[in-house]
Amino acid sequence: MRRKLYAVFSLLSLAFCLVFPVRFFLGGFSVERYKWGLIFASLSWFIFAPLWASTPKDKPRR
Amino acid sequence: MRSRLSDLAARLDGLYEFDREPVAEGKLQPWTKFAGMFAGEHVAATEFVIGAFFVLHGVTVRDLLFGLLLGNLLAVLSWTFVCAPIAVRTRLTLYWYVRKIAGPGVMVVYNAANAVLYCILAGAMIAVSATAIGLAFFIPSPRLTDVLPTSWAWVLIVFVLGALFTLLAILGFEKLSRFAQITSPWIFAVFIAGAVASLPKLGVRPDLSNLAFVARTQVWNGIAVAGQEKFGFWHILFFAWFCNLAMHIGLSDMAVFRYAKRWTYGFLSAFGMYPGHMLAWVASGIMVAAVGREMNPGLMAFGAAGYAGVGALLLAGWTTANPTLYRAGLALQSITPNWPRWKTTLAAGAATTVLACFPVVFMKLLDYVALYGLVLMPVGAIVFAEHWILPKFGLETCRAEKRGWVVNPAVLAVWAGTLAFVFLLPLHLYFKWLPGYLLALASYTGLAALGRKTPAGERG
Repeated sequence: MRRKLYAVFSLLSLAFCLVFPVRFFLGGFSVERYKWGLIFASLSWFIFAPLWASTPKDKPRR
Repeated sequence: MRSRLSDLAARLDGLYEFDREPVAEGKLQPWTKFAGMFAGEHVAATEFVIGAFFVLHGVTVRDLLFGLLLGNLLAVLSWTFVCAPIAVRTRLTLYWYVRKIAGPGVMVVYNAANAVLYCILAGAMIAVSATAIGLAFFIPSPRLTDVLPTSWAWVLIVFVLGALFTLLAILGFEKLSRFAQITSPWIFAVFIAGAVASLPKLGVRPDLSNLAFVARTQVWNGIAVAGQEKFGFWHILFFAWFCNLAMHIGLSDMAVFRYAKRWTYGFLSAFGMYPGHMLAWVASGIMVAAVGREMNPGLMAFGAAGYAGVGALLLAGWTTANPTLYRAGLALQSITPNWPRWKTTLAAGAATTVLACFPVVFMKLLDYVALYGLVLMPVGAIVFAEHWILPKFGLETCRAEKRGWVVNPAVLAVWAGTLAFVFLLPLHLYFKWLPGYLLALASYTGLAALGRKTPAGERG
């Protein structure tokens, strides 16, 4: 269960790495907001992705 | 001389001992592993430079897109129809297969050549990363035409980075390999983010109505910058094809595909080629156009994606230089007097750091990539001929193993002869490898036909 949660947060972080520049391109964000957003999304990826990778898969119940 | 070579070969065998046996059925890997590995391996620091160079070489949009589509397709087909089938049939690494064909002495030469080539490649990665650090300390990056180190400050940055990368390669190769798997999807995301965020600077409207116009006039406008050769469709196609020549046609990736369940897993290389060698190159082209066509990877990354971009450039350099330094150390281990792994990695790191001080290693990266593939390509041709062509003509295969030779002279003659031929061939560097490959195939088969016959029992 925890592994799935880490996976969701990791993938969301990666998605936000792309959402911020797209919003900037569309005029929704300033350049500063885009760059800070990218930093936070990147930090989030580097927190959750290693947890996702290091958490063992749940064993199927018998 | 012969006993010295045998001694070196015995030590080399010891290093690769764990790879000696064909991969067992139970150790084969699912297709997802291959897709993930290819996707991760082909987004490196050098991608920042390669895509940008295409812009500086005055490529047009049409030449770029068609060249990359077809060139990468040819690379995928080379992995699928040349490398993967031999790997799946033998389940051996290139090292052990070449050893059977050419003898252990040739492997010493092959490893030494590989070590030198790896050091130069890692040097380019360190230099690219150094441009990111230089930016933070207001140290000007080398210019396109620079060959020698431009300042003491540049040399200092390169030495600090080189020492750091080398230390990390010595301390924890395994851990860093796992870390590299985590960084690669993020690095790819930063490439795309940087390209998207650079579009407003180039004047692209949010509705994308003028995207094609901007791409044609501001990015890939067909005008080479001063001092750079003009590139067209064939340059791009051949570059995309030979960019990993040593791995597919040169058969280095037999080490990977021997774990594949089927040869068709070669098609999975598309997961590396199209996101890495197509989208990332296109993205870096957009980024260099947005900084006024200045070949400065640090500036490109910072301008397009801020500190995250600088981090991506550093991590891309670090995570790709690390296995390269490790492999160079491994290759060197065989030709040193019983040095431990840390010592050979340190030696490789020191040589790499000195090379990285010279801006020419990344300013001439495209030519270097071509040379790297060219030097190792004849060995791939010889293995291909041994595996597919010689048995068809009823000729004896794996002669070095059967006769206990330290060196198969035919292999050395074809390797050296092919390199001499391509050196003299009056063709652009990018187009030399294909005639060279065909010559190596034909000449090795010819030499085999002149000198040997298969024993009757071996036919069929």
